[in-house]
Parts: sequence; C-alpha cells; structure tokens
Amino acid sequence: MNDRTSGRPARIVAVALATLLMTVALAPVALAMDRARVTVDRPTGGQPTRFTFQAAVEPDAAVTSIDFLFEKGFGTEDISVRAVLLEGLQRIDAPYETEVLESGAVRLVFDEPVPAESNLFIEIYNVMTPITGGEYVLPVEYQAVLDDGRTELRTLDGLTFSYDTPPIEEAISRWMDEQAWVEAWNSVKFLDLFLKPQQIVRAIPLLFTGWLMSLALVLVAFPISIVTGLLTSFMKMAKIPPVRWIAAAYINVIRGTPLFLQIFIAFIGLRAAGFRVPDFVTAVAVLVFNSSAYLAEIFRAGIQSISKGQFEAASSLGMTYAQAMRFVIIPQTVKRVLPTTTSEFILLYKDTALLAAIGLFELMMKSKNFVALSGNLSAYVVAAGYYLIITIPLINVVSRLEAKLAQSEHGVAVTTSRKRGFLRPAKKDEALAEAAASQGAR
Amino acid sequence: MTEPVVVRIKDLRKSFGTLEVLKGVDMDVQRGEVVVILGPSGSGKSTLLRCVNQLEAPTGGEVWFEDIQVNHPDTNVNRVREKIGMVFQSFNLFPHLTAKGNVMLAQRKVLKRSKDDAERIAIEQLERVGLGDRVDYYPSQLSGGQQQRVAIARALAMDPHVMLFDEVTSALDPELVRGVLDVMKELAKAGMTMLVVTHEMGFARDVGTRVVFMDEGVIVEEGTPTEVFDNPQNERTKDFLGHIK
Repeated sequence: MNDRTSGRPARIVAVALATLLMTVALAPVALAMDRARVTVDRPTGGQPTRFTFQAAVEPDAAVTSIDFLFEKGFGTEDISVRAVLLEGLQRIDAPYETEVLESGAVRLVFDEPVPAESNLFIEIYNVMTPITGGEYVLPVEYQAVLDDGRTELRTLDGLTFSYDTPPIEEAISRWMDEQAWVEAWNSVKFLDLFLKPQQIVRAIPLLFTGWLMSLALVLVAFPISIVTGLLTSFMKMAKIPPVRWIAAAYINVIRGTPLFLQIFIAFIGLRAAGFRVPDFVTAVAVLVFNSSAYLAEIFRAGIQSISKGQFEAASSLGMTYAQAMRFVIIPQTVKRVLPTTTSEFILLYKDTALLAAIGLFELMMKSKNFVALSGNLSAYVVAAGYYLIITIPLINVVSRLEAKLAQSEHGVAVTTSRKRGFLRPAKKDEALAEAAASQGAR
Repeated sequence: MTEPVVVRIKDLRKSFGTLEVLKGVDMDVQRGEVVVILGPSGSGKSTLLRCVNQLEAPTGGEVWFEDIQVNHPDTNVNRVREKIGMVFQSFNLFPHLTAKGNVMLAQRKVLKRSKDDAERIAIEQLERVGLGDRVDYYPSQLSGGQQQRVAIARALAMDPHVMLFDEVTSALDPELVRGVLDVMKELAKAGMTMLVVTHEMGFARDVGTRVVFMDEGVIVEEGTPTEVFDNPQNERTKDFLGHIK
C-alpha cells in the first residue's frame, strides 16, 4: 500500500515546480498572451490550408479585436473563420465579425471583449499558402482593454509555423486541379478513369523506381541467360546421349510450364527449404533459368541453320570442333539469331511483371499499389508507357535486323512464328540456307 | 614411277544405313599424280574423296595418308586434314570473313602462323589464283568463280601434300568455269598431287595423269586419259563416255 502511494507527493511537487518555472520564464513577456501558438494542417505549401491559433489571454487584459498579419504570398480572399473559447472540455462561442484588410491581414472584432485568462481558439480556413516551404512567421496584433479602461495595441512576434515545398508532381497535379481543360477532360468518364492527368503526373515519379527495378532484373538476367543458353544449346547438340537428354528435359520442362508457376516454385520453394536468398537474386535466377531454355533453342536452331558445308570447310582445314564453332559457326550464328534474341529480351523484360505476384517491387507491383491507393487506373497506363519506352524501339530494331538479314541471306532468319512458338524446324532452315548459298553463288 | 605414295586406299567400304555406296575400292595415288575420277552420279566418287580426309567415316577398309592410317582410332584426324586440301562444289567460303580473312583463318588457328606471315601467304596465294585485287572483298561481293578460286587459295595456304577437288566447277556458270580450271591446271603443272572428281572431260584429258572410272561403288576401269577416253574396255565406261559426247 505504502509503496503505491509514495510517489504521489513527489509528482505533485514536480508539476507545481514546472508551473512556477514557466510563470517565471514568461514573466518578462507578461504583456502578451500566454502559450500562443499557430499550426497549419497541410504538410506542403501551395494549397488551401487551415491555420489554427491558440493562446491564453493574459490576466490583466481583455481582447476586443485581433489581427493576423499574413505575409505577402498568402491568399486570404476566400477564408472563413471560427473562433471559440475553450473552457475545460467545453467550447464557448465568442461572437465576432471578420474582415480581410487590404494588406491581406485578417481581423476579428469580438462583439464582447474576450475576458482575461480565456483560452482563445481561432481557426482560419482556406488560407492559400505560398508553394515554397520553410519556416514562416505570423505576426499577430490585438487590442487589449486593461483593468483601468485604457486600451493598448499588443503584439505577438514569435509565432512561427512551417511546411515543406511540395514535390514537383504534386505541384503540377494541384495546378491541374484548377485548370478548366483538365476538368473538361476528366468529365469524360473513360478519360477520368484511365488517363486522369493529375494521377498520371503523380504516378510517373512513383513508378520510376519500379521501372528501374524491372530494367535491372532483365539487364542482369539476360546476359547470364545468353551464356547459359549457349551452353545448354551445346548440351542439346552433344554427342553423348545422356548430356543431350538432360538438356532436352530441361528445355522441355521450362518451355512447357508457365513462368508464373516457375516463379512460385522458386520463391515459395526456397523459403520452404529454409534458404534465405534476397528476392532480387531469386528473381534473377528464375528469369535466367527460364530464358536460357528459350535462348538455347534459338541458338541451336541458329547454329544448325548454318550450312553443313561451313563446318566441313573448317574441318577440312584441320580446325577442331571448338575452333570451327568459335571462329566459323558462332560468328555467323550471331547475325542470324540477333533478331530472335532481341525478341526474347523483349519477352523477358515484359515477363518481369509476373514477379509482382511474389511482392517484388518492380513496375507492375508499383502500379498495382498505386491503383489500389488512388482508386484510379491511370497508373496502369503509366506502367504501360514505361514498358513501351523500352519495347517499341527494340521492336523496331528487330524489324530492321530481320529486314537486313533477309537482304543479306535471302530470308534465312531464325524466327519464332509467334510468342513462345516453336522454332521453325532446323531442317527447313538448312534447306533454305543451302538455297541461299547457291543463289548467292550467282 | 618411283614417286612415294601419298594416298593409299585399301578395300574401302562405306554404307549409309542399308545403302552401300562404296563396295571395296583400292587406289594408290603417287606424288605429283593428277587422278581424275569420273562416273555417273551416285557412283560413289564424291564419297570416296570425302573418305580420304574423313569427312565421311569409312565403314570398312583402310585409308592411308603417307605413313599414317587416317581412319585408325588413334589418329588425330585434324593433324592429317591440315595437310590434305579440299575444295567443295559449293565453295563453302566463310561469309563473315574477307577473301584474305578466309585464307588466313586456318593458318593462324591451326598452323599458328604469325599474323604477318599468314597475311603475306594469304596475299601470295590470292595473287596466285588471280585475285590479288580482291583480297579485301567479302564472298558475297565475288562471283562464283572468284569465290571458288579463293577456296583454292585457302586450301593452298596450308601447304597441303595433296588436294581434293569435289566437282568444283559444277555450281559455276559456264563462263566462270575456265578461270577455275586454269588455276587447277597451273597447280598440276607445279607438281601438286591432286584427286579430282569432275565432269570436265577436257580437263581430264589434258591435265589428268590417270583417269579412274567408277560406277556403283567400285572402280570399273582406270588408265591414262588416252587409254580410257580413246579405247575404253568396259561396257559401262563406253556407255558413260558415249552419253557425255
């Protein structure tokens, strides 16, 4: 029992001391209101903001009117004001007239002087703040009626408040809120839902990091896939049957199952097995695993499309298999598989979107989150834009490469007939290559 | 005829599946000889040539190059091939390399010659086949005849002990054949040992030191050009030569 209550007297003493100290500290400015402060309810500038002013009237005076001397740049044309006296938990109306002076200052004239020691609580709504953030001062002047009937103009100097400059997209978006054409545009339901300018402007910087993530994934995974894909293609063409079987099984399993499934197996499987691998690494590994299988088939078809005569010519000169591959076959293959390989790059880049399913913050995931938060689909359109920035130029590159190849080799490009389609049979390519060779002889 | 034997073929057999293409061929080729192999298509003459440098693996018999059995399992075929030049019907130039690059590649990678040596020899050989002004052209920029001559230069640059010519003029337009045959004639005159599969009877008669007539996988008749062309003994030879004329 004793223990429980023993702390009490000490606490009371502490509070009393604190009050005393405060009174002492405030004593030199006893001429002004006590505990005055002003706050804003918006964290960034450039928008209509509510100002809240709170202060205790000093013991020796009553307040008849109060001026809020907003600096230049603050818009007070459309304001509305609410002033009350706080007494305990109660709010007591203090009737007043509001006036906006020419200087932009806001003046409140109370019908009855606000008595000494009242807690004055004033809200000024719809003050347009300047866009540039920082710390601002709000000077306040008020007419005080003293006990002896004299009136005095008193000032509160040190009232500061601060907010940040909004990010550029936020500023543009707010500017758009005001524009008639934006309003007209958004009045069309479809445009409002998919192409709302304000949302687009907001989504662009937000999705940018997701775009970088998607790019990073594919830019790391694809070069590795080229190496592993080439190795796999050699395995598929190996003389030793088991090696060939392993390669074929790998290629068939990967090409025969959805990447989506492979992603789930890799992520959930690794976690279940207790491996703690960073998500980015796992993601790259799955992409490599997947893409290698497709690239292996592209490379194999490319290599086999080179006429058998090339290999024979190299062999007849005493070159080893490796030398013939390295110096004769592969250099010719590169040119032939470049269009298809570029297409594979495009596919892989787009397929990074599937990684959203396991929560990797790439482009798709970012746009999904944005849409969920904003309830507007424009972020999806922005995401599409980010994908297209890369894919459209590459699609053009592929067309140009294919045309160039067709010109130089009379149409012997190794092409996939459609997305993830089966490659044209190598035999046919070989026949075409032979035809091209004999045509080229003329 | 005391020249050493460069190529010796003993009872050579080759089957593709159930189809027996070579049914026991024997042949010795001595240094400096130009052996012209004639015969109807499908008689196995190209296969015979391709067995010499193991582009086709024989199913039976022996192929010897100088003192090496080419089709012995312990033989490093690549070391033998570098001394056996071969020219193909379809040229098989490396399209990604210039004429000079084609001639240099195997010199550099197989013979490990220095770049300067390989280049000097490449230019020499290209001049020898009359293409000194085409060294930096790509195959696609050359006519068929020119491509075939580059292919010959490519083989010669390896300093081969024997040259195999597999219907090298068959893919050429008639007006381009001459140039290639002239190069081969020069080569023969310089003493190169050559095995030539061809349908050019004029070349066989003028340049060949020996003519071999093959049919259905065996050698039917052989002798000097005069013997075979003017006085064929075998009915099939007579029939074939009759058709040609």
